[in-house]
Amino acid sequence: MHKRPDDEPKDPLHVTPPRRWAAGVPAVVHALTYSLEQTSPRRAGVTLLTMNQVGGIDCPGCAWADPAPGHRHRNEYCENGAKHINDEATTRRVTADFFRRHPVSDLARRSDLWLNQQGRLTAPMVKREGRDHYEPIGWDDAFELLSRELTSLGSPDEAVFYTSGRASNEAAFVLQLFARAFGTNNLPDCSNMCHESSGYALHETLGTGKGTVRLHDLHQSDLIFLVGQNPGSNHPRQLSALEQAKRRGARIVAVNPLPEAGLLRFKNPQEVNGVIGRGIPIADRFLHIRLGGDLALFQGLNRLLLEAEDARPGDVLDQDFIRANTSGFEEFARHVRAVSWDDVTAATGLTRTEIERVRDDVLRSERVIVCWAMGLTQHRHAVPTIREIVNFLMLRGNLGRAGAGACPVRGHSNVQGDRTMGIWEQMPDSFLDALQREFGFDPPRAHGLDSVNAIRAMREGRVKLFLSLAGNFVRAAPDSAVTEEAMRGCRLTAHISTKLNRSHTVCGGTALILPTLGRTERDVQAGGEQFVTVENSMSEVHTSRGRLEPASPLLLSEVAILCRLACRTLDDRTPDGRAPDGQAFDGSAGIPWREFEADYGAIRDRISRVVPGLHDFNRRVARPGGISLPNPVNEGVFPTAQGKALFTRNAGPAPHVPEGHLLLQTMRSHDQWNTVPYTADDRYRGIRGSRKVVLVNPADLRELGLSGGQRVDLVSVWTDDVERRAGGFEVVPYPTARGCAAAYYPETNVLVPLDSVAEFSNQPASKEIVVRLERLGG
Amino acid sequence: MVEIAVPVRTVYNQWTQFKSFPRFMTVVKRVDQVRPTITRWVIGFGPVRREFEAEILEQQPDSHLIWRSLGRGPSHQGGVWFRPTMSGTTTVTVRIRIAARGRARLVPRPAGVTSRVLGRELRHFKEFIEGLGQEGGAWRGEIRDGRVLQAEPDPPRCRVPTWPVG
Repeated sequence: MHKRPDDEPKDPLHVTPPRRWAAGVPAVVHALTYSLEQTSPRRAGVTLLTMNQVGGIDCPGCAWADPAPGHRHRNEYCENGAKHINDEATTRRVTADFFRRHPVSDLARRSDLWLNQQGRLTAPMVKREGRDHYEPIGWDDAFELLSRELTSLGSPDEAVFYTSGRASNEAAFVLQLFARAFGTNNLPDCSNMCHESSGYALHETLGTGKGTVRLHDLHQSDLIFLVGQNPGSNHPRQLSALEQAKRRGARIVAVNPLPEAGLLRFKNPQEVNGVIGRGIPIADRFLHIRLGGDLALFQGLNRLLLEAEDARPGDVLDQDFIRANTSGFEEFARHVRAVSWDDVTAATGLTRTEIERVRDDVLRSERVIVCWAMGLTQHRHAVPTIREIVNFLMLRGNLGRAGAGACPVRGHSNVQGDRTMGIWEQMPDSFLDALQREFGFDPPRAHGLDSVNAIRAMREGRVKLFLSLAGNFVRAAPDSAVTEEAMRGCRLTAHISTKLNRSHTVCGGTALILPTLGRTERDVQAGGEQFVTVENSMSEVHTSRGRLEPASPLLLSEVAILCRLACRTLDDRTPDGRAPDGQAFDGSAGIPWREFEADYGAIRDRISRVVPGLHDFNRRVARPGGISLPNPVNEGVFPTAQGKALFTRNAGPAPHVPEGHLLLQTMRSHDQWNTVPYTADDRYRGIRGSRKVVLVNPADLRELGLSGGQRVDLVSVWTDDVERRAGGFEVVPYPTARGCAAAYYPETNVLVPLDSVAEFSNQPASKEIVVRLERLGG
Repeated sequence: MVEIAVPVRTVYNQWTQFKSFPRFMTVVKRVDQVRPTITRWVIGFGPVRREFEAEILEQQPDSHLIWRSLGRGPSHQGGVWFRPTMSGTTTVTVRIRIAARGRARLVPRPAGVTSRVLGRELRHFKEFIEGLGQEGGAWRGEIRDGRVLQAEPDPPRCRVPTWPVG
């Protein structure tokens, strides 16, 4: 175990060529090294050996699915999952003394890395109006303060309740219940910033907002597309599934502006060939696409498929599927046939021949899967792009069959489950009706605020209170300066957190830190030891049970914090504190918050009556492997208004990049989890010692008159006159696509204009930032 | 082939309840229905266990099912046909074609063992459904080319959250 750092790391930037393969022995070494820096060998052993096992701890990292029970490795985790779980299991502690030594103004100057490395929060803290220090506060007083602020708002809609994808199903359900019983649908979540475009496009075209693919489909597929996705760093266990698919003969097409190591070759550290051999190549074909060119790519491919059908009628398209299950084909076909090859090649940076080779791969493949992540969703025309992928899949009937389908790969362990539980500002009436039937109050029907609109409302003073269930909203959100100003304008900000992050340092007038149990920790309530449930990216709902002793005896679980707050707040809203039948009133409209806190099974009972598909939840989720929620598409049902899947006509011009400018994407490093960097290194990309770098194609550097090692400011260009600047970045020549650049998130979120969002989904367009590089120091 | 003294609809309906197979088939230890077209089977003799997934390629109510196994190891394709007789009973015919892959090719497979086991298990099925007299459930959907054909009205399994997931 290492002590927590007192100073910021100050290593110089060291650049080496990017790696051509992912994982292998170094992944094991780095995972164990970081784990043992954070915690003891015993605790690391407990977390790692129970992680992703039946009855164990669900990895709080990404949402990749686990193999079926009986098919899991003894070590069923990846390097990043191991780091993530032991980052939480750390033995470092943030105490009241720490906050005495570090005023908020000092903490606000610290890096994300330094803040995270201080360790686990151990006691509730408050920063009072006009003060510069957090000071201890008892739980009771904290709830009283928060509840008083909530009940003194002019309207429930002046409060916002944000959720991160770490929150369990039970905590998420309780939060949305509390928010709605309180009277608002202001329930933004991190989904708004990662896969909102996927959910919107899939729901619109297929009638269901979730992916259609399960792990076994990947194993059975003939051709897998990995589009805008970096599995080597962000979902490393996906590489094992891809390895299996390859061994069965599948081909893989990777589409990315960056030739990421994990797209090229995988050395599985649990296989001999991965330890002492060369591993297995992943991508058979790598399309070095320009940022934002994916819509044009799939339109070009679709046009080629239509033309192939013209040449060989009946041989190419799945006419039976199209006729029986879809509508809008003719209009779509007319639209795509008119797509110009000049536009496609300009937008993609690819040649027609490259796209024709992919068409040939498609024609040779009976079963095709398209996987994607934020490389697709964080563009202004992300929704049309994903709709075009659905068009592509439907042309050859690649939906509803084994080995085929749409696979949005979600990045946070329960981001999908939280939405299933009703964390959405626009929940349909069917859900709200079920809530009303179950709990006897009338939930608000007006749509609430998503993340971007919540920032706007805070900035305009329409929202005065921000409560966050996990997460680091300030750093995850776009337009950092605007977001921080908005947060500072709130009357009160409160965070239910395990570790310190920048959101605690960008405070409203009053700020609360409500420290909570991590997923690794035993959760003992009045009703005994509890487990929670989560849903992975492939709609499998299963349990997670913590094994470690809590970081502090003062910690409360997320469920306990929310139930106690609800009890206090909603009780206060009843004049006499008594229910109509003379019983002691226990929360709003008879919601048994105390029972929920004592036994999470009572929450799951209610979930089973409110959320479709989770009937008999307690019994079914306790089975090994849990519950697999069916996807209607795989049952032959397309729950759109027409009862059919929809072909769509899509348009989205390639972003205009003025001369002398580049198109910038934000990205995570390999040694990072969402907003939290574990070190300043990015091993696979060959970057060490500094995160303030911008990766640019060498040819573009020459054209711009720049060279590697020069220091520049990144200045983004938007339709308003606001200057957004990220200063002091070092230029690194890198094989990114021509005209494109990449820099780390969240440091460059400052460049993403709040109004630069995906059409329809309102998701920040963090992969589509027009920037100029301003040289520093002559 | 066996002849079962129960109407074809009842026999077919019972056959679609794959999870119930371990109740009457001695080699089938466990079946999970992943989705209408995909089932996961654990079969075994004594301490030996083998697990595989099967994909139903064609399914026509009261008529037939065609499936293929998925995954590594020995693969097989199979079909079961249900035919009503004039006397109101049902004939059930099962055909399985096994193609060994990989190392399994090297293991000798005694001729007739599979068909003997199959015949015995079919007789168990006959005893089971004749004993019950009525099916324990039914799935009346249709599968063609590995895909469920559109069902009207929506089957209960489809009553799941369909709102957008971010």
